[in-house]
Amino acid sequence: MRDINSGKELVNKIKSFIKNYDFEIIATEVKSELTRFAESYIHQNVAETNLNLITKVINEDRIGAVQMNSIDDSTISKNVEKAIEVTKITPKLDYHYQLLKPQSYKIKSKYSKDTANFTPLNRAQLVNQLIKEVNEKGYEAAGAFTTEESTLLVANSEGVFAFDRGTKVDFNCVITRDNSTAHTSFIDSDINNFNINKITDKLLETALKNAEQIEIDPGVYTVILSPEAVSEILNYTGYTAFNGKMIMENKSFVSHNRGKKIFPETINISDDPFDELTMPLPFDLVGYPRKKIDLIKEGVIKDGVHDHLTALKYNKECTGNTLSPEHASFGALPFNLVMKEGSNSVEEVISSTKKGVYISRFHYVNILNPISVQLTGMTRNGTFLIEDGKLGKAIKNMRFNTSVVDMLKAVDMISKERQTKSGFIGPTVAPYLRTNNFTFSSKTSF
Amino acid sequence: MKEILKNILDWLEPKVSYADLRFIQTEKENIEVENGILSSYNVSTSRGVGIRILADGAWGFAASNNLDKASLQETAAKALDIARASALTKKEDVKLAHEDKHIDTYITPITKNPFQISPAEKIDLLVKATRMMLKDKVKKSEGSFSFYKTFKIFVSTEGSELEQTIFESGGGIAAYAIREGDFQKRSYPSSFGGDYATRGYEFIEEMNLLENAERISEEANQLLAAPPAPEGITDIILGGSQLALQVHESCGHPVELDRVLGKEISYAGGSFLTLDKLNNFTYGSPEVTIVADATVPGGLGTFGYDDEGVPASKSYLVNKGKFVGYLMSREDAFKLGLKSNGAGRAENWNRIPLVRMTNINLLPGNLELDKLIGDIKKGLYLDYNKSWSIDDKRINFQFGTEIAREIKNGKLGKFYKNAVYQGITPEFWKSCDGISSEKYWHIWGVPNCGKGQPGQAMHVAHGTSPARFRKVKVGASK
Repeated sequence: MRDINSGKELVNKIKSFIKNYDFEIIATEVKSELTRFAESYIHQNVAETNLNLITKVINEDRIGAVQMNSIDDSTISKNVEKAIEVTKITPKLDYHYQLLKPQSYKIKSKYSKDTANFTPLNRAQLVNQLIKEVNEKGYEAAGAFTTEESTLLVANSEGVFAFDRGTKVDFNCVITRDNSTAHTSFIDSDINNFNINKITDKLLETALKNAEQIEIDPGVYTVILSPEAVSEILNYTGYTAFNGKMIMENKSFVSHNRGKKIFPETINISDDPFDELTMPLPFDLVGYPRKKIDLIKEGVIKDGVHDHLTALKYNKECTGNTLSPEHASFGALPFNLVMKEGSNSVEEVISSTKKGVYISRFHYVNILNPISVQLTGMTRNGTFLIEDGKLGKAIKNMRFNTSVVDMLKAVDMISKERQTKSGFIGPTVAPYLRTNNFTFSSKTSF
Repeated sequence: MKEILKNILDWLEPKVSYADLRFIQTEKENIEVENGILSSYNVSTSRGVGIRILADGAWGFAASNNLDKASLQETAAKALDIARASALTKKEDVKLAHEDKHIDTYITPITKNPFQISPAEKIDLLVKATRMMLKDKVKKSEGSFSFYKTFKIFVSTEGSELEQTIFESGGGIAAYAIREGDFQKRSYPSSFGGDYATRGYEFIEEMNLLENAERISEEANQLLAAPPAPEGITDIILGGSQLALQVHESCGHPVELDRVLGKEISYAGGSFLTLDKLNNFTYGSPEVTIVADATVPGGLGTFGYDDEGVPASKSYLVNKGKFVGYLMSREDAFKLGLKSNGAGRAENWNRIPLVRMTNINLLPGNLELDKLIGDIKKGLYLDYNKSWSIDDKRINFQFGTEIAREIKNGKLGKFYKNAVYQGITPEFWKSCDGISSEKYWHIWGVPNCGKGQPGQAMHVAHGTSPARFRKVKVGASK
């Protein structure tokens, strides 16, 4: 799909094979390159060109979906035939499947020509620069550096035609020297916003503080979470609590708490493609325009996000969060999680903390109890004691078992500064925050 | 296709010290049913070529779905460019452990080709099973099947030419008992999508889904009414399905040599099984012997050759409690002066081989299950994973299980819900004082082992039979 016209040609081609049946299609084309380094050298370095075409045939509330990565006539014809056959033998859905009518779209993905044209040599040169600088301080570097260009086309037989192109830069790095480590990450659409000097300085600053870790005992602590840590918590919360299908099946914390004011008024969490720090998708995977959906507004639980199928089945409004057919049974996910900023500087959050723990990053987070949104996971790459308003001794990694509900209820400070971090679909925008209720359940040996 | 690949190989040969090309074509059929209604039927095909080369002593890899000769030559040229870029930071030339040239064909032995069973028959089975589960508080039931046929061609500058056809089948059912403010799930035959194997449709038939659907539903209802699991230190028995995940997380990952060498440190993490511990560390009790065995019939990690052209093999990782071996690719094995044990695996044509698990099996003991339980005065029987988490060196772990049964004076008793147990890997395995016999041993397929950047989901498996662990910290999620 070189451009919008080749997208239209593809839709017409599929239409000619499907003839009189209703259909939906999703076509994605990706050129993705990734340079991976460890022990201060590039050990994996890859590039991929691929195309994925999903065609759904709808025949009187019977649906057959086929997926292929080649769009020659014979492949499309064979697969479309298969999808039509499937609709003749499968049972009907228990609700009426309606196709979306044509829509207009207010936003586009962010696109950078410089990102699209960034070469393996360009990436290797920046990695090399970082490696040399951290090596001089005795550290080894490991990480991954992705540049990617992707095209998305969503269309249907009712005339929906949505075409979009975007770029992505995704970088993460850990530096290590004995027990001293630090981590940082960067995600953006434009390679021109990537500053390797800033990243290197930040890594070294954190790593030099994170040495000679001491042990602390498990218990309930006041903690300050970095945007990286907050985004991880938000991602899992979005996944388990704000999925419209789980809400409708009474399997979510939100199911019985809609409209209740549970959190402080400073807690505002939304799925917001218009936030200036996010990287939006203009539409979901049936072509609904993306819009801002409040999940928690001024401490009140609003609702979750709904995909096209769940909306039809439960007579809800689709919020523009439909996933691809292969993930449809999961329900819906927020695409662009955003937590609203607070009024404090990061320095104020730290300096006003008499005793607490600063957490840079989590590892292997998972859901312990979906109803209470209790999560577990480990701290990693930089956890520090805060004593008398100052970042103090580094501490060994801890396991947490904590309820996000309890954690958010006890948030008393949120930073003005927010950062863009990786999400489960689009990125997540998160501030620093302080909570007085965070449970560490056990410790590890490093 | 093989001839085109060999032509590209001929073009690359004078420019590289090593190259391999992999063509992979995958067919997948996925069926999902909820509450007796078909919710999703997807068929997918994918094909492409991955070209991996060593030039200037460094790796380059490029992959494309464009399969004509000109496009593949462009892809090969891209891989060369990438290798030259990689060389900018190299410390020494990449070297590979020796591997013989292999020319061979491998096909998964199956009885019933799953792609020749009609979709209607498969859907009907799931519809019946999910309807049977809708009883009392079970308001939601689900079932799914996935079938794969993967055809692979591998050619390399060392002269290897391999063709493999791998069949995989899997699936399962689950019941959700739901009331306001709580829900409990029971799965069969295993959690998170069921059980998988390199077998045909006969594997699905042997699951006896209809014979187990009502029992699963009843257990979900019982769990909903059950009290939370007690907190404390107690003796536990892990059922086979949960033990498979315990082996996966606390043995399978830490014995991956690339993790040990720091290659995954920024993402998945490292390993506590550092090089100094090889043949010099007590990993578990003498009861504990764990092997990597890609030759065992039917295992989801069973194949003819890995994605570096190394034959499937069996090797010891832990022998009677002693740590004795790693999972290795050719590159990493060279660093230890060893040969690869066939663990260089790639998810698909567009991914490079990484060190991956195959079938990582805890060998059976000689106890009857009754005896295993009978020697516990007070404890818990835990099975079917619900939640998992482990630190980035694979030391501190915590798992939640769907089901917990009280053990009192050697007998199984009432149900508890929301059970979790927690431990430190070597201490936990040292507390293992009994493993049930081969009669209870089963290879559990895990089709979603994640690793690497870009991410790769690998199909692996774990042979286990229920085992006993003493003085383990247990509790309940809240």
